[in-house]
Amino acid sequence: MYTFGREEEFMDRILRIDMGAEGGPKAKEAPVGEYAGYGGRAMTSAIVSKEVPPLCHPLGTENKLVIAPGMLSGTIAAMSGRISVGCKSPLTGGIKEANSGGQAAQVIARLGYAALVLEGKPKDDTLYKILINKDGVKIIPDNTLKMLSNYDLIEKMKADYGDKIACISIGPAGEMKMSAASVAFTDMELRPTRHAGRGGVGAVMGSKGVKVIVLDDSTMKMRSPKDPEKFREANKRFVEGLRKHPVTGQGLPAYGTNVLTNILNEVGGYPTYNFKQGRFESAGKISGETQAELEVKRGGLATHGCHRGCVIQCSGVYHDKDGHYLTKQPEYETVWAHGGNCGICDLDAIARLDFLDDNYGVDTIEMGATIGVAMEAGLAKFGDAEAAINMVKEVGKGSYLGRILGNGAAFTAKAFGVERVPVVKGQAMPAYDPRAVQGIGVTYATSPMGADHTAGYAVAQNVLKVGGDVNALKPEGQIELSRNLQIATAAIDSTGMCLFIAFAILDQPDTFQSLLDLLNAFFGMSLTADGVTDLGKKVLTLERDFNARAGFTSQHDRLPRFFSTEKLGPHNVTFQVKDEDLDKVFNW
Amino acid sequence: MGGESLSRTHIGDIWMNSIKKNKEAGIKAHLHVVITDRLTSEFCQLLQRGFMIEAQVGCNVSKFLCEQIGVTPEYVQGRIQSVFLDGKPVDDLDSAVIKNGSRLALSAAMPGLVGATMRRGGLYSSLRSAVTYRETGDQSPTAEGFVQLKLFNLLMKELGPYLLRRNILLKSSDLVDFFKEQSEDFWQGCKGIFFNGKPVDPDLLRGGDWLIQHELVELSIDSL
Repeated sequence: MYTFGREEEFMDRILRIDMGAEGGPKAKEAPVGEYAGYGGRAMTSAIVSKEVPPLCHPLGTENKLVIAPGMLSGTIAAMSGRISVGCKSPLTGGIKEANSGGQAAQVIARLGYAALVLEGKPKDDTLYKILINKDGVKIIPDNTLKMLSNYDLIEKMKADYGDKIACISIGPAGEMKMSAASVAFTDMELRPTRHAGRGGVGAVMGSKGVKVIVLDDSTMKMRSPKDPEKFREANKRFVEGLRKHPVTGQGLPAYGTNVLTNILNEVGGYPTYNFKQGRFESAGKISGETQAELEVKRGGLATHGCHRGCVIQCSGVYHDKDGHYLTKQPEYETVWAHGGNCGICDLDAIARLDFLDDNYGVDTIEMGATIGVAMEAGLAKFGDAEAAINMVKEVGKGSYLGRILGNGAAFTAKAFGVERVPVVKGQAMPAYDPRAVQGIGVTYATSPMGADHTAGYAVAQNVLKVGGDVNALKPEGQIELSRNLQIATAAIDSTGMCLFIAFAILDQPDTFQSLLDLLNAFFGMSLTADGVTDLGKKVLTLERDFNARAGFTSQHDRLPRFFSTEKLGPHNVTFQVKDEDLDKVFNW
Repeated sequence: MGGESLSRTHIGDIWMNSIKKNKEAGIKAHLHVVITDRLTSEFCQLLQRGFMIEAQVGCNVSKFLCEQIGVTPEYVQGRIQSVFLDGKPVDDLDSAVIKNGSRLALSAAMPGLVGATMRRGGLYSSLRSAVTYRETGDQSPTAEGFVQLKLFNLLMKELGPYLLRRNILLKSSDLVDFFKEQSEDFWQGCKGIFFNGKPVDPDLLRGGDWLIQHELVELSIDSL
């Protein structure tokens, strides 16, 4: 047991756990030092870029897994419960930040930690659980947890430690170190439904021999702002802004993220049958509108928050036809990946796939894209939901087929000789075809994370005006927009705020100002929009520098060639942004 | 309605062919359902899959929405944040022209970058410039015709009840799927079902595909 606790939580310490220390894993606290003022993605990328040798093996002793709440996590600020998980990615070979909701960010922050860092690697295959509370840290070997699925694992943790805990865990996929493995975070109902999915972060946790981190912040207080009065007032304005906006106050709570299915499908940008076409004839059967209606009819929920303090409540609860819990409301990306991308139009089958992904601990985007590639390879017909479910079960079992599939779309494509592989830097593309939405293609190609739809999110008009005006019709317009969006997103990911605040902030300058006021009131700063931009640029610079040292060049900032040669119906478009323009994204 | 008003002026679609075929053959398939008010939202779900209404075509989208659908300019401006004409996002509602057989999809504000990208006249519209709607024709004197409409998300609930009170044309396959999905609770809320004016046993709709023989069905709803 390592006794570090104190009464007040300043989030000014980093907890480092060396899993390969002589005599067994050891924990120590250190001041944040040079990482002071960082949170979320800024923290994970700063630590990884400084402390992880870019040429190390992602599953080796030199890689580190950094788990960091946001700058405002653990406070009463609305929407501040997102958490970042960073490392060198086993999937891409570059730097990775994967983001998640759930309870852990709030709890870690209230325990006073700006980051948890798993370092080293155990000498044998012992599996550990780590308990962290106000009294300190315990690192306990527990091989009875081996190969437990996430749901079974959490039930056991609840039985052992009560229901006031929050957990961070890996499923069998992480233990087997599969490159599509996720890190699971429990939600408010203590279910492992929220995931840091992208890039195989679960495999890195598995390589450190850590099965679960159990967090308990009982008796710890909310973090206190420097100016409580201003903080409360800014939070009030922030919440009002979110509630009055039609996206954050109505659309997302009513339908969740799957509200995007009909829109993407209508515009012909909904990747269907492994990115073969842009429209799915059965999209209406799996739309957010249909899903919400079904959930409510069955006694589930169409409106639900993934963490305390969420006022947007875009999540939900999905019941089966008998009214029993099946899974959390599948997100747009999951419904697309396991739905239209695989030709599946059965919401119940998609929900089962979502549950299996959560339970085995795999990224739903990567799994869906992988199954699409497997279907293209002829392992199953497009639309065969039972075959898709069986494929994910193979992953959970760790069979030879499962180990191929569990390592992602690129690996599977190579194993089966498939040409159409929708990946960038080895990571599968999410649910927007870049031929229809070319600007998103720019972000897919150039983001240090690999193909990532959240890397270039909208924040605020005034932030975007930094760097000049955008000419709508020229490719440079898309380059500049992608650049500015990536900068803004990197900054927002560092605050711990949910990216869905973006639309309200874009439309309502007051709401954006209230976010700045929240940060300023908490830390006693005078942050402006330019400051937000500087933070975002700093994070991206660190990430690109790491990737360059890991061997990435401009040739990695490209989409697969078929996007430029294969026309996408119904509009018969190809990706037209030139390579030399892609190389200008990070010109600052 | 003259035959020439039914001619296709742009990309073909089974809807228009079916309308023409039915008209020429004198086929009529009208389903009228009397429901309790609580079922209105169930029927609204159909509207996301697409339906046809008779309309005066040749006008711009703005006029169509205000003068024929009956929404106010303020509603168009504030609520209808994304408009798709023949599958392409529209930025200028005053220049985009509704033609015979046009497909018009309407949505409220959508989340995320893609939602912002699809937004009418939004800052991020350049991200989807490859598929943006660009009008190549002129507004013409209006004539009678048909428009395919789709209502998504919040607009489905807000405009749906009003449009359901009009006669709308639906693909019979969509109607059959819709009725097959419904629970006992739904059927208890259906107080009267009439096909071409004659009462129909609900069991015929519950389990049967008899509607499929008609490619398109005209639907009207009355709620109690």
